[in-house]
Amino acid sequence: MDRLQSTISVSSEAFRRHDAHNRRLVVELRARQEAARHQRPARDLERLARQKKMPARQRIEKLLDPGTPFLELSTLAANMAYGGDAPSASSIVGIGVVAGREVMIRADDPTVKGGAWYPLTMKKIVRALDIAMENRLPVVHLCDSAGGFLPLQSELFPDKYVGGRIFRNQSLLSKMGVKQLALVFGHCTAGGAYIPGLSDYSVIVRGSGAVFLGGPPLVKAATGEEVTVEELGGAEMHTSVSGTCDWPADNEEHAIALGREIVAQWGRPKKWEAQWQAPEPPLYDPTELYGIIPDDIKTSFDMREVIARIVDGSRFHEYKPNYGTTLVCGFAHIWGFKVGILANNGVLFNDSSIKGAHFIELCNQNNTPLVFLQNITGYMVGREYERRGITKDGAKMIMAQTCSKVPKFTVMCNGSFGAGNYGMCGRAFDGRFLFAWPNSQIGVMGGDQAAKTLAEVKINQIRRNGGDVDPQEIEALISQTRAAYQQQLSAYYSTSELWDDGLLDPVDTRNALGMAISVSLNAPIGEPGYGVFRF
Amino acid sequence: MPFTLLLDGEPCEIEILARQPRLLLAVNGRTYLVEPKAGDGMVRIDGETVAFARAEIGETQFLRIAGRTHVAERAGQGGAGGGGGSGANAVKAPMPGLVIRVHKQAGEAVARGEAVITIESMKLQMALGAPRDGVIATLLAEEGGSFDKDAVLALLVSLEGE
Amino acid sequence: MNTPAFSKVLIANRGEIACRVIRTLDAMGIASVAIHHPVEAAARHARMAGEAVVIHGDTPVAAHLDGAQIIAAARATGAEAIHPGYGFLSENAGFARAVIEAGLTFIGPDHATIALMGDKISARTFAAAHGVPVAPSVLQTADLADFTARAGKIGFPLLIKAAAGGGGKGMIIVRHADELQAAANRAASEALRYFGDGRIYAETYVEAPRHIEVQVLGDGEGGVIHLHERECSVQRRFQKIIEEAPAPNLPPALREEICTAALRIAMAARYRNAGTVEFILGADGRFFFLEMNTRLQVEHPVTEMITGIDLVRAQIEIAAGAALPAALPAPRISGHAIECRICAEDPARDFLPESGRIGRLAFPTAPWLRFEHGLTEGQAITADFDPMLAKLVTHGPDRETAINRMIEALKQLTLLGVTTNIDYLIRVLDHPAFRAGDLHTGFVSAHGAALALPPPGRQARDHAAILAALGCREFVDLVFATPEPYASMGLWRN
Repeated sequence: MDRLQSTISVSSEAFRRHDAHNRRLVVELRARQEAARHQRPARDLERLARQKKMPARQRIEKLLDPGTPFLELSTLAANMAYGGDAPSASSIVGIGVVAGREVMIRADDPTVKGGAWYPLTMKKIVRALDIAMENRLPVVHLCDSAGGFLPLQSELFPDKYVGGRIFRNQSLLSKMGVKQLALVFGHCTAGGAYIPGLSDYSVIVRGSGAVFLGGPPLVKAATGEEVTVEELGGAEMHTSVSGTCDWPADNEEHAIALGREIVAQWGRPKKWEAQWQAPEPPLYDPTELYGIIPDDIKTSFDMREVIARIVDGSRFHEYKPNYGTTLVCGFAHIWGFKVGILANNGVLFNDSSIKGAHFIELCNQNNTPLVFLQNITGYMVGREYERRGITKDGAKMIMAQTCSKVPKFTVMCNGSFGAGNYGMCGRAFDGRFLFAWPNSQIGVMGGDQAAKTLAEVKINQIRRNGGDVDPQEIEALISQTRAAYQQQLSAYYSTSELWDDGLLDPVDTRNALGMAISVSLNAPIGEPGYGVFRF
Repeated sequence: MPFTLLLDGEPCEIEILARQPRLLLAVNGRTYLVEPKAGDGMVRIDGETVAFARAEIGETQFLRIAGRTHVAERAGQGGAGGGGGSGANAVKAPMPGLVIRVHKQAGEAVARGEAVITIESMKLQMALGAPRDGVIATLLAEEGGSFDKDAVLALLVSLEGE
Repeated sequence: MNTPAFSKVLIANRGEIACRVIRTLDAMGIASVAIHHPVEAAARHARMAGEAVVIHGDTPVAAHLDGAQIIAAARATGAEAIHPGYGFLSENAGFARAVIEAGLTFIGPDHATIALMGDKISARTFAAAHGVPVAPSVLQTADLADFTARAGKIGFPLLIKAAAGGGGKGMIIVRHADELQAAANRAASEALRYFGDGRIYAETYVEAPRHIEVQVLGDGEGGVIHLHERECSVQRRFQKIIEEAPAPNLPPALREEICTAALRIAMAARYRNAGTVEFILGADGRFFFLEMNTRLQVEHPVTEMITGIDLVRAQIEIAAGAALPAALPAPRISGHAIECRICAEDPARDFLPESGRIGRLAFPTAPWLRFEHGLTEGQAITADFDPMLAKLVTHGPDRETAINRMIEALKQLTLLGVTTNIDYLIRVLDHPAFRAGDLHTGFVSAHGAALALPPPGRQARDHAAILAALGCREFVDLVFATPEPYASMGLWRN
C-alpha cells in the first residue's frame, strides 16, 4: 500500500495561522473537559471525603488495567444544559480494559447532585447500553446515585428512550449473553436499584452501599415503618438475606479488586476476523492536523492530508482516484485494522455519490469496516444536477450506507450540512460510534446559508404582498438568524445534546477509532442486503 | 489499579507504562525497559542480562539475584474467596442446632478460620471458625444451648493497634 | 586393599554426612543401609542407600539416638559394620561398645578411647600427662574462697565457667583480680541453675583465640599419622561456619609444633580410626589443648581436598583391620581448601534457626568444588534437626583462589524456600580481614557491623521487584494477555 505524499508546507503562513487557531480550540476543549471532570462545589467534595468514598473517576482508574487506554465518551454531555449543573450529565461512560477484557464502564458521579439522573443522563446511559448491545460489549456499572432528578421527572421518566429504556437494555444485554457487573459503592434507589438487580453479577460495599426501591424516608412516609439504611438495603442484608447482591466488599478498593476478579472469570470474546496486520504509526505527525484544519469553516482542504495523519504508516490505497473526485475513497489500516475510508473533498456530485455507493458495497462484500470523515456542505444543487438525478444518486449512497452490515464510524472533521450528513453516516444512521472535532458544525445548512435563505424567503414574501424591502430589516434578520444558528451549530451544543459520542482533540482520532473498531468486532456481522436502488 | 508487592517486607509499586513494542515498567516511579524472555532464568533489564532463580512456597516467592536472596509476596487485596471478606464481625449459625463446645471465651484472640464454637445440627457436628483475625468481644452461646438459623453466636472486634 | 573390607555397612546418621559416607561405600563396592524416621522417608540419604530401614521414636532425633534399634536394624539387614557419622551416637562410648558386643564392627575408635576423650577433665589430664600444653586451670574442690585463691594464682584474664557445663552457658571473663570474687559467685549460682551442680572451674583466657585442629588417623596398634591442621576460627553461637586448610598465617615452626602435639596425644592413646585434636591458639603463639573429637568432623572435606585422601575410605579400611606404618610422614599438601556450612538460619536475627521448605535447589559444579548435602526439592526444613543444610567446599592452588571460587559458588548456589546464611557467608569471605587471614573466634561479632546485610541498592531492589512481579500470575496476565490494540496503545486518555 503506497504512502500518501503530503503537499502541506508546515512553514506556510496559512499553516501557522490554522495551527494557532486549532491549538486554541483544543486548549478550550481540554479546559472544558477538565472542568466537567473535576470542577465541583467544595461541599460535594468534602462530603465525599467524609464518606471515605473515592471520586468516580478514581474508581475507574483503579478498575482499569494499568498502562491501558480509556476512551471516555461524551465527557461534555449536558455542558449547555441545566445551567451547567450536570457536568458530564452526572454519569461517566467510557471503554477500557479490565483484566484483559474490553468493557464499557458506566459510573454515577456522586459529586453531581448526589449522582442524580437528569434527562440527558438517561440519554447518555441508554446510549452507553445501546453501544454495549450493538457491539456485544460487557458493562461494568459503578453505582452511586440518588436516583432521578425529580424536578425534571417528566423528561426523564415516561418516554421511550429515557429511564425505562435503561432497564430494557439491561435485560436484553443479559439475554444476549453480554455480561454486566454492578459494583455498588453508594445508594441505588428506586429505578437505580434495578441496575444491580438486572446485572448478572453484583458487589456491594459494606457500610456505604445500599440498594432499595424506596429509601428510609419514603418507607416512613408510605407505611410508617422506621428502618435504617443498613437494615433496608445494606451489604450484609443483600448478600446474606435477599440475595440481591452477590459479594460484600469491605471497602471500595476491595470492591474493585473483586470486580476485577469477576471480570477475569469471563470468557475472552471471540471476535469476527477482520483483516488485521501489525500496527504502524502514521508517517506524518498527527499534530500537523492543527495546521491542516482551516480556521474558517468555508475554507476547503484536502482530506488526504487528514487521512495521512490518522492511518497506519500514512498508507492509503485510493479507490477510483480520478472519478468523482469530491469524495475520496480508499483502503487503509487504523491500529492494524483494515478499513474503508470515505472522506469529503467538496460537495457531492452525481459521480462522487455513485462512487461512494459502489465503494460501500465493496466494503460490505469484503467485511471491511467503514470510516466516514465528514466535511460536507451537501449534495450539489441546480437544474443541471437535478436533471442528471442528483437526488436519486444521493439516495443510492444513503441506501448503500444505511443497509451496510459492516461496522460504521463517523468523524465530524469540519462541516456537516444538509443531506450530506445522511449520506456520510450522520447520527441517525446507526454508526457504531460518532466523534466530532471541536471546530466542527452540524446543521441543515450553514449559518450564512440559512440566514441568506431566510432573507430570500422574507424578501419574496414582502414583494408578494407588494411591500418595500427595508435593507436594514433584512440585515437584522440575517444577523439574528446567523447568531442563533451559530450556537446550535457548534460542536459543544451537539455534544451537549449527545448527537455524538464525544468531542475529540483531532490528534486523538486515531486512538479513538482504533478502540471503536476493536470494540465493534465483538458483534457478528450479517450478510449484505439492500433495498431498491433507484437507477 | 497499580500492581503492589511486598518486597523484603517493604511495599513496592510496579506500573506498566508500555507493553509494545517493548515492555516498559516503572518501579516506585523509576522506569525500566524489560525483556522478560531473555532465556531460561534470565531477563534483560535496560539491556543488562539479569540471571535469577525463583521458588514459590505458598504465596511467598523467593528470588535469588546476583548472590542475594529476596522474599516477595503479593500485597493483599483480599479476594472473593473465604466468604465474608475480612470485615465480617459475626460468627453466625448456618442452621439451627445445639452448641456442643465453646472453644474461645470472650477476650480471647482468634485467627481467621480458627474454631470458636462447635455446633451440632441434623446429626452433623460443625466447627464454626472466626470470619477474620480479631478478639472475641461477645460470646452469645453456651454449651448445650440451642439457636436458630442465622443466630449470631459470637462477635469479634479488631485486635488492638489495628 | 582390593577386596572390599565389608560387604554391607549401616550408616547411623542422616543428611549430608550419610550421603557422603554412602558415596564412598558405593565407590568401594560396599552395600549401604540407611536409617530414617518416618518424617524423612523421602530424604536423599534414604533414597541413595541400597536399603533403608525405618526407625521410630517420639521425635526424629530420639529415633536417631536409639542405639538398640539401630543395632537391630544392622543385624536385620545383615550389615557388618556401622558408620556413625558425626553427632548423634558418634561419640557415645556405650553405643560403640554395644555395636562390638552385637558382633558388628564400629567404624571409629575403641569405646574406651571415646570415653577417655569424652570427659573434659580426663582428656585434659591425659593431654597434660603426655606433654601437650593445656590452659592452666583450677577446679573447685572446696569452698569458693579456696577456689578464688587458687584461681587468682593463674593470672589474668581468666575464664570462669561451670565445671559440669558445656557450650557458652555461664561463662564469665575476669580481667582483674578485684572482679574475681563477684564473678565466681555469679558463675557458681548460674552453674547451679543451669546444670544442677554449683562447682565451677577457671582457666587462662586466651584473647581473640584461633581455633586450630589437627586431623589424625591411627590404626589402634600405634601407627598414627596426622593430615595437617584446619583453621576453624570463624564461628557463630560457638559453632563453626567456615573452616579451611591449611591454616593461614601460621608460622611453619608453630604449625609443626601443633601437629606434633596432636600426634603425641593420638600415639599415647594408641588411637584407632579418624580423630581430631582441637587447640586454641593465642595471638602470642601459645596454644592449648581443647579437646579431642573421636569421630569424623563436619569439616573433614577441606583436609581431603588438600591431601587427596578419602577420609571415609581410610576409616573403613582401618576398621577392617588395615595397618598404618608407625611413622608415616604427613601427606603432601596441595593448594588450599575452604568449607562453608550452609545453615537454615537468619544472620540478621542472631542466627536463629529458620524453617521452611526447599522450593528450589541448584548448585554449581566444578572440579574444584564439592557440594555436600542431603536435600531434595520440596523437603520441609523444620526444627526437628540441626539447622545445617549442606556444605560447600572449594579448592584452589592458593587461598585467594579458593576464596574467590567459594564466593562465586555461593552466588551461584540456589537454595530457596527457607532463609539461609548463604549471602552472609559471601560477606564474611569478602571481608578484608578474612581475606587477610586475620581470624579469631570472635571474628563474627568483632566485624558485626561490616558483615550486616547492607540495604540493597535501589537498582537491585527494583530488579528484584520486576522479577517478583513477573513471577505473579496476575501480573503476567496483565502484561501478556492484554489484547491489541490496547497493548500497543498503552496508557492513553482522551
